Amino acid sequence: MKPRVIFTVVFFALGLIIAAVPQSRTMQYRVGADDMLEDLHGKSQFISPDEVAAFLVEDNPVIRLIDLRSPEEYQAFHLPGAVNLPMTDLLNSDYRYLVDQDMMLNVFYSNGSVKANEAWMITSQLGYRNNYVLEGGLNYWAEVIMNPERPSSTSPDEEIARYNFRMGASKALGGDAGAETAPADVEAPLPAITKRPAKKRASGGC
Amino acid sequence: MNERGVERSKKYINPYLGGVLLGIVLIAANFVSGRGLGASGAVKSVVVEAVDIVAPNHTENSAFYSEYLELHPQPLKAWLVFHVLGVIVGGFISGVLANRLKFKVEHSPRITSRRRLIFALAGGILFGLGSQIGRGCTSGAALSGMAVFSFGGIVTMMTIFATAYGLAYFFRKNWI
Amino acid sequence: MGPLITNGIISPETDLLLAFIIGIGFGFVLESSGFSSSRKLAGVFYGYDMVVLKVFFTAGITAMTGLLFFSLFGWIDMDMVYINPTFLTSAIAGGVIMGAGFIMGGFCPGTSLCGAAIGKIDAMVFVGGLFIGVLMFTEGYPLLEGLYNAKPMGMVKISEILNVSDGVMALLFIAMASGAFWLAEWFEKRSKKVEY
Repeated sequence: MKPRVIFTVVFFALGLIIAAVPQSRTMQYRVGADDMLEDLHGKSQFISPDEVAAFLVEDNPVIRLIDLRSPEEYQAFHLPGAVNLPMTDLLNSDYRYLVDQDMMLNVFYSNGSVKANEAWMITSQLGYRNNYVLEGGLNYWAEVIMNPERPSSTSPDEEIARYNFRMGASKALGGDAGAETAPADVEAPLPAITKRPAKKRASGGC
Repeated sequence: MNERGVERSKKYINPYLGGVLLGIVLIAANFVSGRGLGASGAVKSVVVEAVDIVAPNHTENSAFYSEYLELHPQPLKAWLVFHVLGVIVGGFISGVLANRLKFKVEHSPRITSRRRLIFALAGGILFGLGSQIGRGCTSGAALSGMAVFSFGGIVTMMTIFATAYGLAYFFRKNWI
Repeated sequence: MGPLITNGIISPETDLLLAFIIGIGFGFVLESSGFSSSRKLAGVFYGYDMVVLKVFFTAGITAMTGLLFFSLFGWIDMDMVYINPTFLTSAIAGGVIMGAGFIMGGFCPGTSLCGAAIGKIDAMVFVGGLFIGVLMFTEGYPLLEGLYNAKPMGMVKISEILNVSDGVMALLFIAMASGAFWLAEWFEKRSKKVEY
């Protein structure tokens, strides 16, 4: 018999076996579309500027801000302690250690929230955990933390407390909000960190 | 097939057997190191190292080099560099066993050695550039990518072959 | 169990040693299949020698089927195997440039190294060209960066795009390869013999 015929027969047999095996046995881990929709509706990937500011003020070592903008924009201004990972390098295998890990709580941010959201979608599709998005991006950050709007005197206590916290954070983080601060007494709830066994994909490329 | 052709083909192993053996090597690479085969990445390591030695100021000022060197402080101590050294040794061993070692320029009788070498250089330059843009060459992107169902690898494979077939007519004199 | 390096079964130094040994296997198989000869390689584009197609696709389906079986038996964790990320624009642009290089130079990087190892001077010149080409990329990176990073799609697999399981995808590839091999042998019989 011709080598080609033998080869074809053997491989068809093997191919039929492997095609009959359920996908789950041979597939990579993925976030299902349903999970992702739920996350989107629940807004669970968002972290509010207040929460991030609280982390920064208390110098929480677990949080890591990731600036997705270009290096130029990053140079011009970035949040304290943020690392620069331009969107174009997000899937660069050299930086995978940043986004695929279980030690830190990553917060993606860009000017708005479109880029950061996209980054979150991509990374979570790859099964990476512990990545979050700064709600509203830098624009919203500037609005609420750097230049908080003074609530009217008739506002509920909660609102005034939040304003005081923002003023404090702004001062601590180098914003231009004025003086007249009251001690911040609003405890920002800490988002839970999902643990996943440490896994490192091999790097590759030709 | 004529007599000479039969004799010649005896010297090479059966292509399907060769393919299965190559597939096993590729599985071994994935099993040991979680990655496929490659060749052009090693060239990049050598180029970056060489540029860094010749013009350290230049590498410091260029974003590409400085970033690459920051991530790979020792470009030559890379998986692909060792892999490629192995490829040269393996090719040499096979050449010795089959008695194929010989310095020569292989070309169609219809063209001169000089023309063949010019085209080889041009082809090398294009392949070097293309492999960097396409994130891998025929082994790194196309073959290794196909083995793990990478969409990009399969797209690269199809464009390589489609372009080569598309241009084959214009370069036929070089080969047949 | 596998990949051995990511699971910490072997040290990075051993990994480099094994890279060398795997390289020897790669080079040996390429050379003994005839991939050190540019005229044999170029035969695939003119129909007089289809060895490239046969070896390439046989290797591809052997590896993909083999890896699926390894994964099925629990010998390798495919989560940790590198899947080449897809950047559609650069994959196509790079493929077109490489295709032109292939038909002009008659080698690809791996095969040119094998050719150079057994003394083919045209292969050595091709390797020299590779260095120039890569240098053009590293020097021209600021210009090429946009193209290089356009349309990232992540580590997407063709089986996901076609929405079939990996096993079915492998079977499809096997069917395509079998058809291609049959056609290739038919072509070889038909086409004009070329002495080389």
